Amino acid sequence: MRKSLIMFMSVLLVLGLVVSVGGNEVMAQEEYRVAYIARAQGDSFAAWLANSIIEESNKYENIDLQVFDGQGSDAKQNSLIENAIVNEFDLIIIQPNNGEAQRPYAEKVVEAGIDLITTNARIDGIEGGSSVDADPYMQAAVVAEMALEQVPENANVVVLNGPPGNFHASERRKAWEAEFFAKRPDVTIVGEQIANWNKDEAMRYMEDWVQANDHIDAIISMNDNMAAGALEVVKGDPEYNDILSYGVDGTAEAVLLIKEGRMTATTLQSAYALAERILWVSDLLVTDKVMEIHTNIGNPVVTSENVEQYIEMHEKAGNL
Amino acid sequence: MGKNVKLRLENIDKSFPGVKALDNINFSAEKGSVHVLCGENGAGKSTLMKIINGVYHQDTGNIYIDDKLVEIDSPTKAKEHGISMIFQELDFVPEMTVEENFVTGNWPTSKFGKVNWKKIRKQAKEILEKEGLDYDLDTKLKDLSISDIQLLEIVKAVSYDAADIIIMDEPTSAISDTEIDLLFDKIRSLRERGKSIIYISHKMDEIFKIADMITVLRDGQLVATKPKEELDIETVISLMVGRKLSENFPKEDIEIGEEILKVKSLNSHRIFKDIDFNVHAGEIIGFSGLVGAGRTEVLRALFGLDSYDSGEIIINGKKIDVTSTNDSIDNGMVMLSEDRRRYGIIPVRSVKENTTLANLEEFIYNGRLHRQKEIEVVEEMCEKMNVKTPSIDTDVSALSGGNQQKVVLAKWMVNDPDIFLLDEPTRGIDVGAKFEIYKLMTALAKRGKAILMVSSELPELIGMCDRIYVMSEGKLTGELKRKDFSQEAIMKLAVG
Amino acid sequence: MKDLKLGDKFSRIKQKYGIFLVLILLFVVSSLINSNFLSVRNLTNISRQISITTILAFGETILIISGLLDLSNGSVLALAGLLSVSVFKMTGSLILAFIVAIVVAVFCNIINGIMVTKFETPPFIATLAMMAMARGAALLYTNGQNIYRIGDYTVFGQGSIGFVPTPIIFFILIGIVTWYILKHTRLGRSLYAIGGNEEAAVASGINVNRKKMLAYIVNGVFVGIAGVIFMSRVNAGLPNGAVGFEFEALTSSIIGGTSFSGGVGTAGGTVIGAFIVGFLNNIMNLVGVNSYVQQIIRGGIIALAVIYDTRTKKMRTKSQLGNVE
Repeated sequence: MRKSLIMFMSVLLVLGLVVSVGGNEVMAQEEYRVAYIARAQGDSFAAWLANSIIEESNKYENIDLQVFDGQGSDAKQNSLIENAIVNEFDLIIIQPNNGEAQRPYAEKVVEAGIDLITTNARIDGIEGGSSVDADPYMQAAVVAEMALEQVPENANVVVLNGPPGNFHASERRKAWEAEFFAKRPDVTIVGEQIANWNKDEAMRYMEDWVQANDHIDAIISMNDNMAAGALEVVKGDPEYNDILSYGVDGTAEAVLLIKEGRMTATTLQSAYALAERILWVSDLLVTDKVMEIHTNIGNPVVTSENVEQYIEMHEKAGNL
Repeated sequence: MGKNVKLRLENIDKSFPGVKALDNINFSAEKGSVHVLCGENGAGKSTLMKIINGVYHQDTGNIYIDDKLVEIDSPTKAKEHGISMIFQELDFVPEMTVEENFVTGNWPTSKFGKVNWKKIRKQAKEILEKEGLDYDLDTKLKDLSISDIQLLEIVKAVSYDAADIIIMDEPTSAISDTEIDLLFDKIRSLRERGKSIIYISHKMDEIFKIADMITVLRDGQLVATKPKEELDIETVISLMVGRKLSENFPKEDIEIGEEILKVKSLNSHRIFKDIDFNVHAGEIIGFSGLVGAGRTEVLRALFGLDSYDSGEIIINGKKIDVTSTNDSIDNGMVMLSEDRRRYGIIPVRSVKENTTLANLEEFIYNGRLHRQKEIEVVEEMCEKMNVKTPSIDTDVSALSGGNQQKVVLAKWMVNDPDIFLLDEPTRGIDVGAKFEIYKLMTALAKRGKAILMVSSELPELIGMCDRIYVMSEGKLTGELKRKDFSQEAIMKLAVG
Repeated sequence: MKDLKLGDKFSRIKQKYGIFLVLILLFVVSSLINSNFLSVRNLTNISRQISITTILAFGETILIISGLLDLSNGSVLALAGLLSVSVFKMTGSLILAFIVAIVVAVFCNIINGIMVTKFETPPFIATLAMMAMARGAALLYTNGQNIYRIGDYTVFGQGSIGFVPTPIIFFILIGIVTWYILKHTRLGRSLYAIGGNEEAAVASGINVNRKKMLAYIVNGVFVGIAGVIFMSRVNAGLPNGAVGFEFEALTSSIIGGTSFSGGVGTAGGTVIGAFIVGFLNNIMNLVGVNSYVQQIIRGGIIALAVIYDTRTKKMRTKSQLGNVE
């Protein structure tokens, strides 16, 4: 029994090798080899970004891109970086799971004489390393500023947070604190929980909050998934027709909700824009046109006024 | 004698919810003596022993060791007082080796807490040599038979724990005659060394071979404590059951019918070879031999628990391929295993569920279990078999060994097969329950069932069987008719 | 003697209704702490919240009783639900979508069953492997993206019949099915026996491997239905949804008195376990207990439930023993 199982596993392994070797053969000799080490393919933004980067890389004939999945684990991601160094890639792009945990490994990349880009979020202050990012603090700050005007006096609000220890989660929360809550002492937080970026978890919390409170004026969420989950709970409830809700990311679902008038605003963290910029920087680095570069993409706010163009964007991408 | 007393129990009372288990018991064990304790299931002997061993605590009464009042509130405390107990139902870790088993809970360690395996090995080897046992120290317990493990337990208690008071709960229930001799030699040498042995047993010949004193318990009360010389087997049995037994074995003359089971040159590589025998309706056939002769293995193969290499199994004239227990059960052949806890009962389920397990389709109507019918059948069966249980919804694990065995038998009775394969059907159960099982066998035979019994107790085989097949080292060495039965004749064939 | 009898009576009540008393206590305390707790709306809310994990817990209970386990149910739920959503988007047929979910989940569970019976892999390992495979397949299918605009698919999770929300109806129906299987069928009896003592079950002529496979198939049906309700409730196809549901299901089952050593457990107990978890989560959110503290409390409750369970079991054996010996 055990033997046949081992056989089965070996066949799988061999198949896997054949497929990946086959993939390598296609590569032309003049190409630069680029490793993209993704945070987690299971995270929908990270997956979107990875897909966009692959797509964008097809436009560059001199770049051969391979994607590795960090599976949301520091240990996994660090060992992937080490492997990429040993395999002598020409450029390694890291989308860190947790910036500080990957910092020493990112430094090793530079030490090994390999070009480095850190992105979403950047790891600050690595000498000789480049970075491309959207600033998570600013992403939340721009919607928080809108909320400052829109949230009524003495409002009750609920807050949905991302996973503890996640850089984007904590930066976005910081922005809300500094740009909104500090300036609006009249606002009461009647519920605040960690819903781990997930729609289903956010739903559960919102369901309980609706029971516990007479009225909730606004949903403040660190991403669109959770905001959409909270909105799902109050869908069709006339009492909550006017509820305000803020997210970040600009997902396909969020722009639809904005179009329907159910969601208030989100900041687009455009994977396309990031990917475009990353590949542009990559090309500059591998062809030695520049040695080090740091650049940010913008943080466009999506509201009912400009939502059409973003719906178009998502439709083009096949997300809708 | 008085000053010679090692352990003394005074006015011990113990109640459990709804039942008085022990009623004012006075009991003592002397130095250099074997005190046999006997009584039926539920007589209270296990409870008494558990009190001595610290598993239970008495409600009232005192325990003295060397005339000093002691408080035994845990098995560890009992051990500190030099009390060691060898249980009837062995709990062991199957993956442990003989060597590891020797020192469990008692590891000699270095200053830094490192287990000194070298020392253990040396000691273990010496002890095994001294006791005349030749086991490989690296053998895992799961690869040993129950009798081997039991012998090891006894050796361990005696040699390792250096106990002064040794309680043995039916130590011979799983071991063969030669091993019993070995054990008795050991008990005698312990007695000479001044140890007190409390010996619980149901086997009368054994009791009278080894006892100095005999105490009989019945229904939580002490009915007699006397030196062996003042008692005989009949008296002890009648004291135990509270009635006179006219016969030990309720054997009746039953007309032998058609051949029901025929086995032709059954082979299993290295285990048994060329086994040929038959059983007729109404016939009780015995399988004798030493432990390890392959008797159990033949039964297991017939029942489909193990596979066999070649040979024919013919039931009611039809050749059957037995590849799983389903094949044998469907053809009316069932087996009662020697290892009741492993192959017999589902301990965490009720008497009712255990009883109907093998024949559930009888109770299914339109895909649904007919509860009422099930309850009726089980209650009837429990009454018929005299299963002592508070209710049919009680977990089987809460019953005594004899009653568990009856539940397993009841399960097969519900199935109403033609052939019963009984492997040590009376192991570990008391005289009263044994007698009931014999009666049941007779009743089954009367109804035209064929019974095949493996037993290590020669009196039982001689008392109950119509024919006896004897096995030695995997081969049949002879067949005896009832008129030729004698212990000597069987033993001669058994040793090859 | 009198005291003994009274104590005896009380301990018997405790044994029989032990975990139920815990539920009542929690219910009373919660009602006192927060006035919003005890309202029809909130109780409906709780029932709806626990419906999906409890449906998984019913399958888990059947498996654990049989000495098996499923760690893959969260991932398989996601895969089955996702494929179901996408079939609905392609065909517009609710019935077909529903069937697809069940077929996918049953297929995954047949693989679990084959691993366990034919290849004799421990259930823990086999279903751990399936957990990774099913999640991977779900992410691969949509490239890690969510599926939106699922239209009428939401009837499964957001609709209601009369005033009872559909998830609760599924929850009740599957609960009844579980109860019926365990209590009234040959399969149920056989599974208890297999979990209680597999070798004795074999020796009683039970086709152990076939019954184990059936247990996984039943589990598969439940997981498939849970997948449909889940996706419908979140109004999307989430390849990354239902993470960690296996542990919530396990928790409900174990708190409800299902024994990890097999052979013991009931559908009713699982419902009680699920409500204990549901009440607890709900009241903690109503009162606004910090996220991290909630995790600590949840862990503590599991530990307490298991300790309580072991202790009552010991008491039970003791008092039964006392009756016989």
